[in-house]
Amino acid sequence: MSSAQIEIQLIASVVAIACAIPGTFLVLRKMAMISDAISHSILPGIVIGFFITQDLNSPLLIFLAALTGIITVVLVEYIQKTGLVKEDTAIGLVFPTLFSIGVILIAKNANDVHLDVDAVLLGELAFAPFDRLLIAGADVGPKALWVIGSILIISVILLIAFFKELKVSTFDKGLAASLGFSPAIIHYGLMGVSSITTVGAFDAVGAILVVALMIAPAATAYLLTTNLKHMLIYAICFGVFSAISGYWLAHSLDASIAGSITTMLGLLFLAVYLFAPTKGVIAVMYREKQQRTEVSLLTFLLHLRNHTEERERHVNHLNEHINWQKVRSKTVLDLALKNNMIKFDKNIVSLTEKGNNFTSQAIDYIITNEDSKIEHMKEDFFLFRG
Amino acid sequence: MDKKKIPVSAGRIAVKVDDLTVAYNYKPVLWDIDLEIPEGVLMAIVGPNGAGKSTLIKSILGILKPIAGSVSIYNQPYEKQRSLVAYVPQKGSVDWDFPTTALDVVMMGTYGSLGWIKRPGQKEKKAALEALEKVGMLPFKGRQISQLSGGQQQRIFLARALVQNASIYFMDEPFQGVDATTEIAIINILKELRKAGKTVIVVHHDLQTVPEYFDWVTFLNVKKIATGPVKDIFNDDNLTKTYGINYKVSIQE
Repeated sequence: MSSAQIEIQLIASVVAIACAIPGTFLVLRKMAMISDAISHSILPGIVIGFFITQDLNSPLLIFLAALTGIITVVLVEYIQKTGLVKEDTAIGLVFPTLFSIGVILIAKNANDVHLDVDAVLLGELAFAPFDRLLIAGADVGPKALWVIGSILIISVILLIAFFKELKVSTFDKGLAASLGFSPAIIHYGLMGVSSITTVGAFDAVGAILVVALMIAPAATAYLLTTNLKHMLIYAICFGVFSAISGYWLAHSLDASIAGSITTMLGLLFLAVYLFAPTKGVIAVMYREKQQRTEVSLLTFLLHLRNHTEERERHVNHLNEHINWQKVRSKTVLDLALKNNMIKFDKNIVSLTEKGNNFTSQAIDYIITNEDSKIEHMKEDFFLFRG
Repeated sequence: MDKKKIPVSAGRIAVKVDDLTVAYNYKPVLWDIDLEIPEGVLMAIVGPNGAGKSTLIKSILGILKPIAGSVSIYNQPYEKQRSLVAYVPQKGSVDWDFPTTALDVVMMGTYGSLGWIKRPGQKEKKAALEALEKVGMLPFKGRQISQLSGGQQQRIFLARALVQNASIYFMDEPFQGVDATTEIAIINILKELRKAGKTVIVVHHDLQTVPEYFDWVTFLNVKKIATGPVKDIFNDDNLTKTYGINYKVSIQE
């Protein structure tokens, strides 16, 4: 690996970490769309800042762009508060307006300078190592790394200092307000950090793809954990993993780095969405099937208990009586046998003592409306699950 | 519970509301409310849907900004008396899929006394565990909150308020969507709080249980209709004034 390659991966990873931190809270606050709006509407801020400073990495430019980000949030909330339109409509009204102002400003005034819409929207990570930061004539590394690195350090400090406040105001705004942690301050603080991070990251991945780095790792982590701290850590790991693997994907395909990173984020989310152990699609389907079989089993056992007459309990009649398809009846019958709940006596099915115990306990819970306890009961009785 | 020394019903006013008017988009939801809640009562706020019951609590707690009027807690503005007040919001007001555990939610009750930046430590954890024990939820302390039943979630909220060790408790429909056992468990805790000299204010929907559960009641329907001891003012006259002529229908619901 050349030093430029290492630097690119380093920048991408730092951007990913810096995005994952505010991203986690945006996802939990159901504000993913706001990050999309911010990423677009900072364009006029960047353009105006660029006119003043003539430097894409100037702190003033970052500050101005972040300010436009906050203005976006304020405008969205203001329009929404009138009650005339809903939040998503308000977002859809505000950011294209601000964005188009930026586009016009670039077209009118910045044609002859190094600032074009593509550069802002898509970024070009491959060029980042060329723009060096010189301190007293000495090369101390790529400028982008210093910019996003400083932003990352600030957000980590803020995160550690205000973790408890962020958590309580995200979970329960009313409680936060009554305890004296103004939800508005925390809200705008988070919006400010998100805006600054977006601006800092646009050099690397562009203002649009930064949305992917904020939302996708957090959304992926959300499927895997029930602990806020773990969610943050997972989101950071997913971001870094996608950044580095995305870089090598781009390298082997000779494609855009930002595009490849985002593709990796998408693939990662898809994999977790399908295979996550408890919330994943496949796990949910498996659990539902298990539930269905176990409910059928209980129905079947209840039937056996209710009918003492042999006619009702004859194997050949069970199919018609309970009105199940052959396959299902067989699954249920097998499960009951495996768990020693029933026994056969010349094709007549009857409950074993254990089956009888299980069924009467289950009925008790059903009639006292404590269905949830049946789940725990299964632990005590089942040798095999459905 | 170190505030037991405050004498019960010594005639002090715990909460005083003066000329409070709250409006959403200039449409008044509460109109010129004057209310005095004496210390040590277990009070129900009753009224039909849209009467402004939750709004009243939220504006006392500074969550909503009134357009007129003032609120005082023991003769001081709310901001100065935060530590004396605990709040149990409606269960539906939070996202129960939030990645956190029962213990963690109860710990949030201790954040107010910590203030900004300071982190909860062993002392706060102990208080939270004790509160969980009190509401019978200790075995569930590590459970993710979405995996709790409605009644258990309500108990967690109650534990979170208990851990604040406040003098005044505001609760927004704590009996909503809980089973009979949990309802009894909750009301027993509320009665215990009153015995300890605390003031408990509950937004309540079930008119039938008012005389059994509460000793003080406020009738509210945009304006305040009446407030006082249940045995004196919980009568047909006030119910009709609050719910209209058809209040008996709403009882039977």
